Order: sequence, then structure tokens, then C-alpha cells
Amino acid sequence: MKKFYLMLMLVVGMVVLAACSSGDEEASEDSGSEGSSSVDTITAWAWDPAFNIAALEKAKEAYDGDGEYEVEVIENAQDDIIQKLNTGLSSGTTKGMPNIVLIEDYRAQSFLQAYPDSFYPLTDVINSEDFAEYKIATTSYDGEQYGVPFDTGVAGLYVRTDYLEEAGYTVEDVTNITWDEYIEIGKSVKEATGKNMLTMDPNDLAPIRMMIQTNGSWYVDEDGSTPNIAENETLVKAFETYKKMMEADITKVVSDWSQFVGAFNSGDVASVPTGNWITPSVKQAAEQSGQWAVVPMPRLDMDGAVNASNLGGSSWYVLNVDGKEEAADFMLNTFGSNPDLYQTLVKDIGAIGTYSAAAEGDAFAAEDEFFNGQTIIADFSKWTEEIPGVNYGLHTYAIEDILVTGMQDYLNGTELETVLENVQGQAEAQLK
Amino acid sequence: MKNLKRIFIYTFLSLAAIVSIFPFLWMLVSITNKSVDVTQGRLLPGTHLIENMKTLFATVDIVPALMNSAIIAIISTILTLLFASLAGYGFEIHRSRGKDIVFTVLLLSMMIPFAAIMVPLYRMFGSISETAPLIGIDSLGAVILPTATTAFFIFFFRQNTKMFPKDLVEAGRIDGLSELGVFFRVYMPTMKTTYAAAAIISFMNSWNNYLWPLVILQSPEKRTIPLLISNLGSSYSPDYGVIMSAIVIATLPTALVFFLMQKHFVAGMMGSVKG
Amino acid sequence: MSQQKTKRGEIDLPVRLKDSKRQKTGVYFRKKVGWLFIIVSIIAITIFNFYPMVQAFLLSFQSGMGANLEYVGFDNWRRLFGDPTFIAALTNTSIYLLIQVPLMIVLALFFSVLLNDPNLKFRGFFRIAIFLPCVTSLVAYSVIFKYLFGVDGIINLFLLNFGIISEAINFLADPVWAKVVIILAITWRWTGYNMIFYLAALQNVDKSIYEAARMDGANAIQQFFQITVPMLKPIILFTSITSTIGTLQIFDEVVNITNGGPGNATLSISQYIYNLSFEYTPDFGYASTVSYVIVILVIILSIIQFRVAGEKK
Repeated sequence: MKKFYLMLMLVVGMVVLAACSSGDEEASEDSGSEGSSSVDTITAWAWDPAFNIAALEKAKEAYDGDGEYEVEVIENAQDDIIQKLNTGLSSGTTKGMPNIVLIEDYRAQSFLQAYPDSFYPLTDVINSEDFAEYKIATTSYDGEQYGVPFDTGVAGLYVRTDYLEEAGYTVEDVTNITWDEYIEIGKSVKEATGKNMLTMDPNDLAPIRMMIQTNGSWYVDEDGSTPNIAENETLVKAFETYKKMMEADITKVVSDWSQFVGAFNSGDVASVPTGNWITPSVKQAAEQSGQWAVVPMPRLDMDGAVNASNLGGSSWYVLNVDGKEEAADFMLNTFGSNPDLYQTLVKDIGAIGTYSAAAEGDAFAAEDEFFNGQTIIADFSKWTEEIPGVNYGLHTYAIEDILVTGMQDYLNGTELETVLENVQGQAEAQLK
Repeated sequence: MKNLKRIFIYTFLSLAAIVSIFPFLWMLVSITNKSVDVTQGRLLPGTHLIENMKTLFATVDIVPALMNSAIIAIISTILTLLFASLAGYGFEIHRSRGKDIVFTVLLLSMMIPFAAIMVPLYRMFGSISETAPLIGIDSLGAVILPTATTAFFIFFFRQNTKMFPKDLVEAGRIDGLSELGVFFRVYMPTMKTTYAAAAIISFMNSWNNYLWPLVILQSPEKRTIPLLISNLGSSYSPDYGVIMSAIVIATLPTALVFFLMQKHFVAGMMGSVKG
Repeated sequence: MSQQKTKRGEIDLPVRLKDSKRQKTGVYFRKKVGWLFIIVSIIAITIFNFYPMVQAFLLSFQSGMGANLEYVGFDNWRRLFGDPTFIAALTNTSIYLLIQVPLMIVLALFFSVLLNDPNLKFRGFFRIAIFLPCVTSLVAYSVIFKYLFGVDGIINLFLLNFGIISEAINFLADPVWAKVVIILAITWRWTGYNMIFYLAALQNVDKSIYEAARMDGANAIQQFFQITVPMLKPIILFTSITSTIGTLQIFDEVVNITNGGPGNATLSISQYIYNLSFEYTPDFGYASTVSYVIVILVIILSIIQFRVAGEKK
């Protein structure tokens, strides 16, 4: 029994000590960081230390304005940022909110419309014409420019040249093709090598998203909120193509990110159609160097569809809190106007921006050994300019969750028309 | 017959143990492997342990995060144990109609998903942030307070008090102990195993708590372990070897607390069930 | 209550004879003291739980994007019944509840009795082994579960090799199997957790009762049902109510293992609440309404469980 009390006292003592020391810390911090409306420290949130966090650090170095303030870069997981922003902004408490935050393009409109007074317009700060056109629709709202476009989500088709060769194809044969041609090639590749053409996650309709954007279409109308499902010919075509792909027996089913990455790292698939941000993961399997190439995204077999699409991508936003002027100043003098910064970003972290003037620089023309000397950055930024602009609107993920169920029904034999009408009805009921 | 039963029991327990431990072992194996091997589900130990640890300690501040988690978990466990046992004891030993009604109402508070009360709770802490920064947004105090008293543990202590021999209370009173004296001198020592169980669970809950610390804590130096791990996994090319290393380090304290506390679950020596 | 009174009466007798007046004020004082034991908790829970709960309740009559909420009366409640995603989530969660909670409680009880036996060798090892799942990180165990139940996973290999099935089952892409995997995962993770409560409670059971029962020739199984279960009734009630709440609010397992799929086949109510608040354009009003469905369900189920356990008089 004595031992028990002794332990208890020990623990209490420890806690008191710990509490005191952490209390001191807090006090000193408070006096340091809290100032009046003109602040000397601004904070910025982003999520990938190897990518957008690193980009912020580069931006700090490249800053050439005359503002006198510190920029504190804070790493938060993307989902965590979404939760923190939603909780903070909806509670009306601005304490603890960052000055600059990175938001994925698919979600931007939701935030801009859900919290209209919480974001600081940058219309007069940056020149929206300096950026890739397709980024502007998603980063502006109600005639105001809110976001500073950051990375491109330009998609490409990563292919294993050795597998293609084995099946008798060259890189040219898979360049600028349609999805239907892609499926046919996939069949021969499977026959020749036994490898599947690509991975598919039944819970992730990213392929559908990439397909419909090749024809400038989306889940919602131009207004950004009316579901556009049942009457959407592009979506019909995409669904048909998806099913054809599943039935052609050229896909390996995966159920999460690590299996997705694992599949191409271990050489189980012959191609990866996805956003350019996958490059570091592809390169992770160093022994496959020289066996990869990147070609333009296949397009849907429809008039008007192009061989360029997008998946993901994000932009910077300034919150309407103390320090917004400083934050806007920082954005202007870095991502907003500095082509050299974008050269650095490409060279040092492989991040491809959407600042058009930057694409002429040397860094974009660098050859990549892993991809057999291909100038992948230059290629990606060329394709970026060709991506059809669409307004992602408000409900990308909400509609997609309904669509996933619809896709299952369709794959299991329900008429496509019925499926899509069903989804349309559900979406309309849910998204009032 | 008796031997047969023994064999059955040991086989059954061994199977259960294997099934239970397997993912844990895989976790341990994974910290010695490269990210590529982890994603491919490699089951054999590799040689990457030191490198993973180096990367981990180089990329994130795991020690301060461990400290924060420890402070929060320890304070919140002590407060929980104290207040919940007081309340559980009060509700059962000093039972009355009024208290029974209050108790039923208290139970209601466990029933709502936390996500639903998070925004109002956040607003509340936001409104006191200026006047009381020690328990405002971005303070460890704000993480602890809502978890320090929960109906869950009051309920737990009350149910256990139902099995507590009430004669002991009376005996204590006759010995001239005050009401609180009875609680501290008689009840607490007798219910040691109940406290041990509550300590394990409370420590674990607090240690793994994610959503509330996530929204209420802002500055990186106040992060707890689960938040840190969440960050590690969020990059476009996560390094699973490093993530697993962080996870293993984060898991050990709870396992240790369990190991220390479970010693109190000693079956009575005399007349316990014999197989 | 009455039992307590007689007991107290007996013991108190000599005292009461001496000074009945003092004793009376003592009882009165004791009643007040009882409130002192619980007052801190009442205040704290009121501030940190009930106040936000009331706010959430008011929210359930509002709707709108993010900060643009307005009162819509009972619209959210009406919307619930026409919302197929909600119906799917409710159905899935109910299935988890009905199968998983009883399964887990029985298993946990069984383990705790076995692991309480002082003659058992490696008791400490078995205990920690069975407890480990609830501290094993979700990331680790969801990866493991996905591999075990993958198309070319160990489970399929095993079943194929022993000729139990002729073609690999895609567990995670099949609506029924995916639910089974989730139920297994929850059970796997939380059985050890519940076992702790039983292990602790077993210490409070008077060992001489077992001695007497064995004298009467009761075997282990009879002892289990006639002594252990009745004696542990308060704790069994506790675990079944808290497990019910836990399963109704199940979130982590589903998100990490199947993320609600295939389709919405494994989506849980909590995940839907989360999606409505954070994944989609936030509608905190409707999310609150869905939350209160959980509250209502838990209340109903708890009343039933209290009744079955015969707690309320």
C-alpha cells in the first residue's frame, strides 16, 4: 500500500513540475507573438514537407519586398487543415487561425462560399492573367480573385517502357491516344507480360474525374452547384469507358494509397494515369530507372476532348484576420510575381507551378535520367496550358460519394441511364 | 479429461494471442524496413531501422510531442480517477432519488458523437481565450478540461461500487472516520483494481485522443503524438518506414501503463476457480 | 436501498440508543455530503458536455453552408428520412451493433475468466497479448487487415489451399464481406479493452462463493453462469451500454479499412456526420440532426439494457 501512495505522490509531483514549466513557456510565448493589428509574425499552413512546405520555405528565401515580418510555416495534414479551418471559421473565433493557408482546388469553392467574409480578396494584389487559365475558375468567387494559384495537378500517363516494348509498342504508340485505344493496348500488354495495365480503387473515382475534364465537363453545371449527372454525355462516356476497362481484365484492384503506390513500385502494373505529383513516388523504386516515360493523358473518344487533364492541385489563400496585409504582401512578392522562385521550386523540389512566365526558364527544360532523359517538367507545363478549365464548384466529393455507389450498381448490371438518373435525384435531394 | 481441457484452453488462448499480436509484430518489423517494403507488406525484418529512426528524429520533434502527450494524459488520468471515483461513490453509497435522476441525465452526455459538439465547445474556449489563456485555445489546459470528468468513468465507478461491500463504509464511520475519510481510507485502497483498470483506459483514451487536440491546439510546439503522426502520413509520398517508427514509439507508453497496472489484477489466492 | 437500511440499522443500533438526536442530524448531514461528492463532476459535465449539446440541438433546426446558417424548422428531420445515404449508414451501423456487441461481450467475459485463473501459466503474457490490439495503431492494423483480406491476401490463400473456396473472394469490394471484415476488426480491437473491466471486477467477487459452489458439485460452466455472470452484472451492464455507444459511433475502423465502401456498404453514421461536416461543403445543421439520431438510439437501447438487467425499480 505504501508503494502505491509513494507512486501516486511521485506522479503528482511530476505533473506539477511539468505543468509549471509548460505554463512558463506559454506565458513567454504569449508576450512574444501577440501584437496589435499590424503584426510582426504571420503564419502559413500547408501539408507536405517535401512539397508545399518546402515551397513556402523557398518563398521565404526568395521574398524581395520590404515588409518587416516573420513568416512561420506550420505543417498540418491536409485533412487536419480542413477540420481546423471549418471548426475555427464556423465558430467565428479567429484566434489561432493562420494568415495563409493552402487549399485543394476541389474544395476551394466550398470554403469561399461557406465562409464568405473569412477570406481576403486578392484581386488588386495579383494579376490573374499571369497564371494558367484553368486555375482561375476555381480560385475566384463572385468576381473576386481569392487564391494565388500554386501547383498544377496536370495529369500524365506514366508508362513502363520495357513492358510496352515486350508487347510490341513504342512510347509513340501510347502518346495522344484515346481511352479506348488505351484499353486495347492494355489487353496486349497483359497478354505479353502478364502484367495489369493499371490499378483501380473502387472507392476512388479519380479516373472518372480525369476523363471528364479532358472534355471540359464536371459533376456540376457552370454555376458550380446544380448537379449535372443524368444529362451529362461526357459522364456517360466516362462511365462506359470505366466499365469497359474493368471488364477487359487489365486492372489490379487496390483499396488504399499504400497498395496503389506498392503496385507500381513493385512492377505489378504497366502504367499509372494520375497527377504529376506522383513523380517522387514513382522514382522511389530506384532500380526501375530508365524504364519509365510520361505521355499525355488519354482523352475520351468524343469530339472536343483533348489530351490534357488534371487531378488535384492546390492554391494559397489569405484569411481575413490580423496580418492580412502582410500576408498579401508576402504572396505578391513570392508566388504572385517571382518567376525565379518557380525555377527554384522545379529544380529543388520538383513542384510545377502554374505561373505562366516561369515555364521559359532553364529548370523546366532539364532532362530527367529516371525517365530516360525526358524533359518531363517542360512536358507537364506544356500540357498544363491545354487543360480545359472547369468550375469544380461546391460538391465534388459529396457527389462522388453518391456516384461511387452508382458505379457499383452499373458494374453489377444496372442500366446506365437508370443509375445516373438515380444519382442525379439523390444529389439534387441532398444538395439543396 | 482435465488435461484435455487444459490443452484446449492453452490452444485457444495461444491462437487468440497470435491473432492479437500479429499486427503489432508487423508494426515492429516494419520499422526495420524501407517504405517500399512496408507498402508491399513485407513480413521479414530488414536493415533500415537506424536510418528510419534518424529520419524520424531529423524531420519531426517527437520528444516535445511525447512530453505534451504525457503531461495531458497523466493530468487528465489523475483528475478523471479522482473526480469520477468520488462521483461514482457518491451516487451509489449516498444514493437518493434525486441523485438517481441526476445520474441518468449525466449518462446522456456520453451519447452524442463528439464531432457534433466540437464547434460549440470550440467557440466556448475561444471566448475565454483572452481572459484565461492557460485554458484557452492553443493551451494544454483546454485539451485536458473536457476530458477530465466524463460520465463514462463515473458510470464505471458507480457500477463497481455496487460490488463494493457496504459494511466497510459503516465500519469506517464507526471508527470515527469522516465521510471523506471513509472514501480515502477505506474505499480507495479496497478498490485498487478498479482504479488500475480506470487508469489504463483513461490513459489510453487521453493518449490517443485526436479530434479535440487537433482543433484546439494550433502551435506546432504544443502538438501531441497523434497529431504528429497524422502529419507524417499526409505528404504525397509518405515514408511508411518512418511513420511506423513514430507509431511504435507512440504505442509503447500505453503498453507500458497496461503492463504496470495489470499486476493489480491478481486473482485471489485462496478459493479461486480451479480448472 | 431497503437492504442497505436494515444493514445500517443493525450496526447503528448501539449508537442510536446512546444519542438518537445526533444520529439524525448525522444522517441529514450525510445526505448533503453525498452531493458534495458529485458536485464537481456535475458542474464540469454541464459546462463541457450539456451546454454544447444544447447548442448542437439548436443547430439541428438550422441549415446552410458553413457560417451561413438559418433556421429551417423540421426540414433537417424530414430530409433524414428521404436521404438514402443516411438510411444506408443507419442500416450498416445497426448491423454492426446487433452482431458485434454481443459477440464481443461474450468473448471478453470468457477471456477474463480464463485469464483470472491463478493456476494459468503465462497469464501476464496472454493478458497483454489480448490487450495489445487496442493500442496497436489504426494505421498498422488497417494495413494488416487490408492485406489479410486482399484478393491475394493470406485469408484467400488459406481458403484456396484447403479447397474451401474455388476462387479468391474480393472481401473488401463485396458489400457483405466488407461488413464482415469491419465487424471482425471492431471485435478484434475492442475485446481486450472490455476484458480489462471484467478482470478488474472479478477481484471484487468473494472467492468463498466459488468454494461453496464447488462443494455443491457445480462444474466450471455452471459456476460461470450461476456465480460469475450474476455477480458481474453491474459491469456487464456497463460494458454493454458503453459498447453500444461505441459501436453506434464507430468511425476509425470504417474510415481506415474500407472508407465506407464499396459504395456505401460499410458507411457508419459517424462517418456520415464527419463527411457532412468536413468532407463535403459543411452543413453543421444537418450533421447535428444526424448526431441526434444516435443520441435517440442510444437512449432507447440503454433503457432496454437497464430493464433487462433489472436495475431500475
